[in-house]
Amino acid sequence: MMLMVQDLRVTFPLDGKTGLRAVDGVSFDLAPGASLGIVGETGAGKTTIARALLGLHPPGCVQGSIRLDGRELVGLSEEAWRAIRWRRIALVPQSVGTALDPVYRVGDQIAEPLRYHLGLSPAEAWDRSLELARRVGLEPRHLRAYPHQLSGGEKQRALLAMALSCAPDILVLDEPTSGQDMLSRARLLDLLDALCREGGMGLLVISHDLAAVARLTERVAVLYAGQLVEVGPTAEVFQDPRHPYTWGLLHAYPDMSTARDLRGIRGAPPDPANPPPGCRFHPRCTQAIDRCRREEPPLREIGGRWIACHLGGLQTLLRAEGLRKTFFVDGGEPEERVEAVREATLDIREGEVVALVGETGSGKTTLGQMLVGLLPPNGGRVVLEGRELTAAKGKERRAMMSRIQLIPQDPFDAVSPRLTVAEMVREPLDIQAIGTPEEREAKVRQALQTVGLPTSSDFLARRAHELSGGQLQRVVLARALVLEPKLIVADEPVSMLDPSEQARVINLLKEIQTERGLALLLISHDLALVRKIADRILVMHRGQIVEEGPGNRIVTRPEHEHTRVLLEAAPRLG
Amino acid sequence: MRRLGGEVWFGLILLALCSAVAVLAPVLAPYDPRAFSGQPLERPSRAHPLGTNDVGQDILSELIYGARVSLTVALAAGAGTVLLGLLVGGMAGYAGGWLDQALMRLVDGMLSLPRLPLLILFATFLGSGLPQTIAVISFLFWPTTARVVRAQVQSVRQRGYVRMARQFGASHPYVFLRHILPAIGPLIAYGLVTSAGHAVAMEAGLAFLGLGDPLVKSWGLMMRFALNLPGLFLTDRWLWWLLPPALCVTLLILALALMGIGLEQNLNPRLARRWR
Ligand SMILES: Nc1ncnc2c1ncn2[C@@H]1O[C@H](COP(=O)(O)OP(=O)(O)O)[C@@H](O)[C@H]1O
Ligand code: SF4
Ligand SMILES: [Mg+2]
Repeated sequence: MMLMVQDLRVTFPLDGKTGLRAVDGVSFDLAPGASLGIVGETGAGKTTIARALLGLHPPGCVQGSIRLDGRELVGLSEEAWRAIRWRRIALVPQSVGTALDPVYRVGDQIAEPLRYHLGLSPAEAWDRSLELARRVGLEPRHLRAYPHQLSGGEKQRALLAMALSCAPDILVLDEPTSGQDMLSRARLLDLLDALCREGGMGLLVISHDLAAVARLTERVAVLYAGQLVEVGPTAEVFQDPRHPYTWGLLHAYPDMSTARDLRGIRGAPPDPANPPPGCRFHPRCTQAIDRCRREEPPLREIGGRWIACHLGGLQTLLRAEGLRKTFFVDGGEPEERVEAVREATLDIREGEVVALVGETGSGKTTLGQMLVGLLPPNGGRVVLEGRELTAAKGKERRAMMSRIQLIPQDPFDAVSPRLTVAEMVREPLDIQAIGTPEEREAKVRQALQTVGLPTSSDFLARRAHELSGGQLQRVVLARALVLEPKLIVADEPVSMLDPSEQARVINLLKEIQTERGLALLLISHDLALVRKIADRILVMHRGQIVEEGPGNRIVTRPEHEHTRVLLEAAPRLG
Repeated sequence: MRRLGGEVWFGLILLALCSAVAVLAPVLAPYDPRAFSGQPLERPSRAHPLGTNDVGQDILSELIYGARVSLTVALAAGAGTVLLGLLVGGMAGYAGGWLDQALMRLVDGMLSLPRLPLLILFATFLGSGLPQTIAVISFLFWPTTARVVRAQVQSVRQRGYVRMARQFGASHPYVFLRHILPAIGPLIAYGLVTSAGHAVAMEAGLAFLGLGDPLVKSWGLMMRFALNLPGLFLTDRWLWWLLPPALCVTLLILALALMGIGLEQNLNPRLARRWR
């Protein structure tokens, strides 16, 4: 193993005594010719790691161990570091603008390390610079220019040429693609890809550009608040993220091919000076348990993947196996059978937005009602958080029912004409006997506020017929929220509303979903509508799920012919 | 609820009057109805505004106390009928499946039996106390109620909000009491009034046939005693002995029927029609 980083900790002194721990116990290694990506949001500590690998932090800041071919680098003198920088480990820094000296020609700056580190003569060094420039796609005229005369992409190339000048064993790229237009980004990636293939050089790509990391690296490490939360083969991690943070990061990532609106992870990264106790991701995690607030999860290997999570990664919230429902239409002697749902299997993970699309009559509603326990299936089972919903009875059933809520299509049918708004929204709390009457009252008001409804006593005393469809659907939504469910199944929740109200309610639903970290199963016949918010789309046809995949894939490359039919029928798919 | 129509008010006023008379009977009645307060068969006079019967009891007092009997029967048998009907019909409609099938078989069976002969048969066998009369009437009339209740429960049960309550984890009793019962409330009120009317008529009929409680002087029994007098119609005696109780029974039934008609307008017309 060429580079071994063990328990790396970087602490910056703050004005007070306690330091700011920007990197906290990061370990990874890099074999010759291998490549590793480090991804994470800004402020996660990516650049800090890069600079630690080049000994660029003030002495005393870095703890732990960085070994290069067995030699410990932490604690080396500036003198000793100089022999390693450029020749063994080279960095293409994040801020292209300040990395080049404005008063020297670019070519001279590329030649400098050659002369300085390799002891070449000025002429030899210039020749090598020309050669390097060619390799990174720069022309001789670029070498004669001053930095301000180059574009961002060209400066980046110049820096890359500099980094490559001493043929380092390890090349560290910090945000190689940031600030570049799409075209130069693509060219740069081609170039880097080709460089890696030439072999021998270890590559460390630090970036929040997930596509770049996917392109350039074999393995990837996900950094959150100075700690690694998931490490594994890049393709596998991006295909099937296991840690909740990785999952959120990937789904927040705007992909060129996705038509979906950007989905954020709720909340914001923690203040590094004051990280939360326990798992650092817990305030934003949709599946956090008590233990997450107290204990820090270690990075453990689980099925070929390194994951730091007490629960072993993203949990399946709801799983349906082989659900079947047949309706008998009587009248007429041989009873007519309608196989509404046949062998439907699906799962929904924590915090995920899954859309179930299909034309009218394809069995979507029947499936949805079986999932929430409103309709007993003829076969198969529904497992909610590891417990079988289809078999639950009495108290257990009541407890499980509060975890999963339904928003039906017709709000007028969903509320009793005899109850007031306050009574409607309070009903689940009454049934589950949660809190005192005052607490219930407070929860009702809070839920109404969340869905953007007034909480005046006049409004609370209204009955269904005194509300508009949009208002009533919001009341139904508020009622679904008072029990703080983990999953909401929304069955055509906006189809009875006028178009402008449709958009508002869908956005509201999405907002609440992100904010509360809920999973959402959105049932709809309208692909154009769901693709905006769905992480994953299931296509249903004649009682069966015929296609399943990420939203963008389903929309851009449908496989089942029925999906294509639905796509053609969907309006405004530009 | 729509506003109550004039006929309901008329019915209500009649019923209220009748109730007032029943409650205030000791104050209103000039005599103890059982006391032999005059000579037999006195004609109306100051002392006995409606005269006396064949054993010298004051007819007006009998009439006033008779309101108590009729109202008791109306209320008790009406409630009995509705309760039984609600129980069986509610259970059948809510549970569905085999229980529904079995209970509805029973209801169909009961409905196919001839009511009046059965009533007479039961009354003969069970004896002729007032409680027996009430029990027999309730027993014979519940199936109609059960059938209507079942139909209504079945339709309410399918409503989204009722199913959603289950989704919030509600127990069956909660769903039934909180959602189903209020939804069929108007139907129950209508059923109660209608059954009460039937009960009054039945009681009068039974008493008239001599199958009522001979010790409890109801309006029906008064009519029977009047008619037992040979040659009642030979004089104008029937005007103050037979006519007043007959009129009272008719008015009470009319009051209940009017209220029923008013309430019916608040109901799903299809369901109300089935009741008749
Ligand atoms: N020299 C420094 N002094 C104090 N805090 C720093 C310094 N460098 C970085 N940090 C802090 O450390 C954290 C990690 O920063 P950085 O490594 O730049 O993240 P990334 O590269 O992932 O965006 C941030 O909170 C940042 O403010
Ligand atoms: S489940 Fe717990 S340990 Fe796992 S990521 Fe969420 S908060 Fe951290
Ligand atoms: Mg950075």
